Amino acid sequence: MHEKAHDAELMARIAAQDQAALRGLYARHCARVFRFLLRLVRQEAIAEELTNEVFLEVWRKAGSFEGKASTATWLLAIAHHRAVSALRRRKEESWDEAEAANIADAKDGPEVELQKIDKAAILRRCLEQLSPEHREVIDLVYYHEMSIGAVSSIVGIPQSTVKTRMFYARKRMSELLKAAGVDRGWP
Amino acid sequence: MNEDNTALTEREEIEMLLPWYVGGNLDATDHDRVERYLAQHPEVRRQLELIREEQHQTILANEALPTPSAGALERLMASLPGRRPGLLARLRASEGYRNIAALFGPSAPRAIRYAAYAAVGLLLVQSLAITALLVKDNGAGYQTAAGKDGGEGLFFLVAFTDTASTADLTRLLQDFDARIIDGPKPGGIFQVKVRVSDPSPAAAEALQRRLAARRDVVRLALPAKE
Repeated sequence: MHEKAHDAELMARIAAQDQAALRGLYARHCARVFRFLLRLVRQEAIAEELTNEVFLEVWRKAGSFEGKASTATWLLAIAHHRAVSALRRRKEESWDEAEAANIADAKDGPEVELQKIDKAAILRRCLEQLSPEHREVIDLVYYHEMSIGAVSSIVGIPQSTVKTRMFYARKRMSELLKAAGVDRGWP
Repeated sequence: MNEDNTALTEREEIEMLLPWYVGGNLDATDHDRVERYLAQHPEVRRQLELIREEQHQTILANEALPTPSAGALERLMASLPGRRPGLLARLRASEGYRNIAALFGPSAPRAIRYAAYAAVGLLLVQSLAITALLVKDNGAGYQTAAGKDGGEGLFFLVAFTDTASTADLTRLLQDFDARIIDGPKPGGIFQVKVRVSDPSPAAAEALQRRLAARRDVVRLALPAKE
């Protein structure tokens, strides 16, 4: 069965309160949702709790799922809102980009020197230093393979903003790489 | 950050579309627009390589992450009203089932999903080799790659290269006084424990760099928790 059709069938069964269908949907999407949340909240226990909240919301609201977006897009949209709320409550990692960037900058030091020999490691480290907003859009596009429209639905911003946010996330990554000794010649 | 795109040059507009162009997620109109621009400005093609590099490292960073713990699904189900799961449901909730689903199901990104199918043969061969290494290491006792190892040490998530042979893996483990204690996880990643006398963060970073430097055998080496 086509993946989208399989998800649609599971969603219809969940709307009818079929617990086995919820297990099926969880098996298909828990890794995606958990990893998306973990990259944002950075603590496994919290990410796991939020993952369960996402699927609990699916259980409660499956009847209102219209199928305009894919199930994965819908799940990540719920996850996004849960993560933003959790981060705002926790206040350990600000959702505000400027503050997050300052935190990231403060980490620069001997570690940068140690990792200079491995460009790939530097790139991954720079990914970790991005603000939550930038890290999220990078993950959504590169790892979750979401279209511009899907990212717009998940994050709740206009498509034009999706494009500029991704652009500035990449630009910021180039700046961090340059500061770490890797000049990619862009921008 | 300025997210206002009202004063963008044509080049900037095209550059903004490139991540989705590389990922094959652009609509036909934008796709054709990018193609036309690249044909006229071949120097911009260099950016495609940068994007592929970013994408590759983002995928690796995500694939190195764990999946929810074994008890998470049962906690979810317990929070639903009128729960009475059957044996099949409990089997479906098992970690092994989820790991396979994560590797081949829609929750895995396309790049990894296709690579997973292609790598199944290799993983089987490498898993057999790793099991053989563990059997040898433990004498008469048998321990699978998923078994846990006691004692002190530092932990890493390691993915091996497609061309790594049993002899290569044996040599690497001997060189580092290391053991494979878990895996394969999604993406063909194993958890490796390295016995050390100095478990400091600086020593761990140096060890990670030494592991990563063995590029003939190691495709990816990241620090991990026990």
